[in-house]
Amino acid sequence: MVRLITHNLLACHAKGCTSNNFPLQFQDVSIELRDADFNADFLRGFLPRLEWPALVGAARQLGDTSLPAEQPDMIDDEFLQKLHHVLLEIHVEEGAMVCPNCKHVYPISNGIPNMLLAEHEIG
Amino acid sequence: MPDVQPTTVSVENPQSYEDTHVHAVYDEIAPHFASTRYKPWPIIAAFLASLPTGWIGVDLGTGNGKYLPLPADRPGSVWTIGYDRSINLLKIAKRAGDVDREVVLGDVLDNPWRKGAFDYAISIATIHHLATPARRKLAVQRLLQTISPSHGRGLIYVWAIEQDDLSKRSIPTCPNPKDSRFDIFTLINKGQDVFVPWVLAQQADPKPKGRKGKKTHAISSEESEPAPTAPSSPPKVFERYYHMFAHGELTDLVTEAALETGLVIGQPPEAIVPGRKIQGVQIVQDGWERSNYYVEVHRWEL
Repeated sequence: MVRLITHNLLACHAKGCTSNNFPLQFQDVSIELRDADFNADFLRGFLPRLEWPALVGAARQLGDTSLPAEQPDMIDDEFLQKLHHVLLEIHVEEGAMVCPNCKHVYPISNGIPNMLLAEHEIG
Repeated sequence: MPDVQPTTVSVENPQSYEDTHVHAVYDEIAPHFASTRYKPWPIIAAFLASLPTGWIGVDLGTGNGKYLPLPADRPGSVWTIGYDRSINLLKIAKRAGDVDREVVLGDVLDNPWRKGAFDYAISIATIHHLATPARRKLAVQRLLQTISPSHGRGLIYVWAIEQDDLSKRSIPTCPNPKDSRFDIFTLINKGQDVFVPWVLAQQADPKPKGRKGKKTHAISSEESEPAPTAPSSPPKVFERYYHMFAHGELTDLVTEAALETGLVIGQPPEAIVPGRKIQGVQIVQDGWERSNYYVEVHRWEL
């Protein structure tokens, strides 16, 4: 699956592509929404590890505008529920992720992103 | 019991060697392999149980994803992403423990992540599939790069040349005492490249009338003889490449990998030189468990 929790960690690693290689841009995606178990403690601990603007941008690309542009100071349950949904319940099943820098295309098939490079693309 | 056979790696193209003797094999045997891999090893379970809630990690060479649901007593308290070179194993891993998991297709010699994005990384029974010392070292370096320089933790497991009685595998025996590959000194100091067969007995059953299950039936594994059935095609044997690690070899490999990337080995120093940033890695434990060697590392930064 590519959910936004994973998208927030992936970066382009094609040969010579070392800057502006994050976040990857979604292209021609089909998404599915599926419920996941809510775990407030995990989310509170995980929150500081997120690249917030990348998460908000990716969510908007997928049509979800529930998150504020700035990470809020007050972490209440309502916010955690929204974060939970964006991070863990939107599944990108098909499509691709494209590097903003070198335009390398990483396909997504059956919910699995393919980050393999051809031999000449390996840095 | 299928015997482990010695082999010599073609060093000219280790990539295509691994493609043939590792990646292609796992893609073929994935469902059967997965059905035999379910029990976590104690040291790994303890490592995952020790992680603070909210941490994110990656399992480099996740296979069927059997470590993704851990820790068992706090499910969902940490999040492990499964990473593997075999798409067919990942199709199984993405539902490990009957829950949606996150899995990514990739090579452990690459690093398709934000640098230091993970709090922890595990690499279980994976690095021993890489065909040269340089590639095994690179895999360790990749692992060290994926985890946070300030607090990242890593755990690496590889197959040991010293096998215990419980193990279903057998140590390569020496058919020819003059064969230098089996010299006991070589074995102990350098490890051994071997093929480990995976026996897939195939029952071609084109019209499974009145029969439960799938057309092709996997009935054997490395731990058992093929069942006495009447297969219409002979069992298919897949030779998987392994490097069996010698005593101390994994610890040396991790040390060398870390030093080469400019990391200091050992505990963080008590006295800090002002204005100078140092990064290091401490080997917090290493040892042998159930026919495997393991090393746990913690990264630090001052």
